[in-house]
Amino acid sequence: MNRKIRFGLASLTLAFCLMLLTGCGGAADDEMPSAVKDINAMDTTMTLTAYNEDADLAQEAVDAAAAEVERLDAMLSTGNKGSEIAKLNKDGEATLSEDSAYLVKRALEIHDSTGGAFDISVYPLMVEWGFTTKEFKVPSDERIAELLQNVNADKIEFDEDTAHIKLPKNMQIDLGGIAKGYTSARIMDIFKEHGIEHGLVSLGGNVQLLGNKPNGNLWKVAIEAPEDDASDYAGVLEAADCAVITSGGYERFFEADGVRYHHIIDPSTGRPANAGLSSVSIVSEDGTLADGLSTSLYIMGEEYAVKYWQDHSDEFEIILVRDDGSVIISSGLEDVFTTERPLDVIK
Amino acid sequence: MTNTKETTKKPRRADILLIGGLIIALGIAALVLNLTKSSGDTVIVRVSGEQVYSFGLDEDVDMVIEGKDGGTNRLIISDGKAWLQNATCPDKLCEGMGKIDSSGESVICLPNEVVVEIHGADEDDVDTVAK
Repeated sequence: MNRKIRFGLASLTLAFCLMLLTGCGGAADDEMPSAVKDINAMDTTMTLTAYNEDADLAQEAVDAAAAEVERLDAMLSTGNKGSEIAKLNKDGEATLSEDSAYLVKRALEIHDSTGGAFDISVYPLMVEWGFTTKEFKVPSDERIAELLQNVNADKIEFDEDTAHIKLPKNMQIDLGGIAKGYTSARIMDIFKEHGIEHGLVSLGGNVQLLGNKPNGNLWKVAIEAPEDDASDYAGVLEAADCAVITSGGYERFFEADGVRYHHIIDPSTGRPANAGLSSVSIVSEDGTLADGLSTSLYIMGEEYAVKYWQDHSDEFEIILVRDDGSVIISSGLEDVFTTERPLDVIK
Repeated sequence: MTNTKETTKKPRRADILLIGGLIIALGIAALVLNLTKSSGDTVIVRVSGEQVYSFGLDEDVDMVIEGKDGGTNRLIISDGKAWLQNATCPDKLCEGMGKIDSSGESVICLPNEVVVEIHGADEDDVDTVAK
C-alpha cells in the first residue's frame, strides 16, 4: 500500500466518522443566526423569525417588525376605544390614515369580487354572537334580521383620493378579516428594508414566508387538521415568498344545547357559515388578499370557491378541506403539496 | 525495481495497524452515535391553548406548570415517558391518564387547561403550521 492510498483511506474514514457524529450536518439553517420574537397582539400570539449572518441585524429587524405590529394593532383594533376604527364606528365618518385607507380600499375590492361574501360591516353580528367579548350567546331570529339590515359594505361611502369614509347610520366595521394578512405583508417589507432575505412569521397561524429557508430549501408549512380528533395534519405545503392563510370554524367556536357555533359569520344569513368546508387555505404573494379570501371562500363553499379560483388563478392557490376530511387543491400546488388524505386537484 | 514492487504488494505491519485502527475508530463513532441518538420526539406543554414549554422526550424534567387561575400540575419526563402528577385541581383525572411515550398521545388537565402532547420527529420536520 503506498502512502497516497494510505492517506486517502485514513482521511475518508475520518471524514465518515465526523459525518456520523454530526448527523451529516444537513441542517444548514442552524448555521445562519436567527432572531425570534413572540408577541401578543390582535387577540393572538405571534412569532416573528428573521435569519441573517449578522445576528444583530436580524434582532433589529424583528424588533422593528414587532413595533409595527403594535402600531397597526393600536390603530385598527375595534376593542381599543382610542383606535382609528373605533372612533369611526362611534362618529360614523372619518378621514383615514394611509394604512386604514389602504385596508378599506382592499376590503371593498374583495367585497365586490366575492359577491359580498367578504363584508367588513358584519361586525355588529360578531359582537351580538359574543365573538368579540367571549360572552357567547345565540341571538334570536328577530335580532339577527334586525342587525342584518345594517350589513352591506356597498353602502360605505369611501373617497380614495381624500381617504374620507362615511358609514350609513347604525353601520359598524371591523378590518380584522384582513388586518393580520396586511400586517404580515408589512413585516416582510420591514424585513427586506433591514436586508433580511430569509424570514418566517406566524400571526396566530397566519403564516408569511420571506425568501427560501437559509439552506436554500423551500419552507415546510403544515396545514392544521380541522377535525378535533385528528392526530395528523391536513397536509404539508412546501413554499417560499408567500403568505399561507387558513380559515376554519374550528379556530374559534362555542357550544350551546349541543350545537357548535363558530366565528365565521356569513354576511347573507348573519349566522355561522355552513357551506360544507371545514377549512380554507389561501397561498398568495399578497398577504392581505390571502387573509380576505380565506374567510370568503370558506363562506362560499366548494362550488363557488373553485369557480372563484378559476377566475383568479393568477393571483393565488387554494387548499380546501371538506367536512368529510378530503382535500381539494388548485393545480399550481400539485408538485408542492403532500397529504395522506383523499385528494382532488382542480384545474 | 523488481524488489520494490514485491515489497509494495505485501501488506506491511503498519498497514495492518492502520486498517485495524480505522475499523476501531469507525466502531467507536457508530457506538457514540447510537448512544446519543434521540428519538426526536418532542413534549409540548400548552396552557389555555398557548404553547409554554417544549422538551425532548429524552430529557429529564421535573417541574411545576402553572395553569389557569393559579392551578398547578407537576410535569415529569423520565426514561422516555411523560406524565402529570400532584394536580391542584379537585378531579385529578390527569394523574389517572398514565404515562405517555409516543407521538400523538396527550395528557390533559381540563380544570387547569394544561395539555401535554408528544409530537413525532416527522411532524417537527415542518417549519410552521398554518391554522
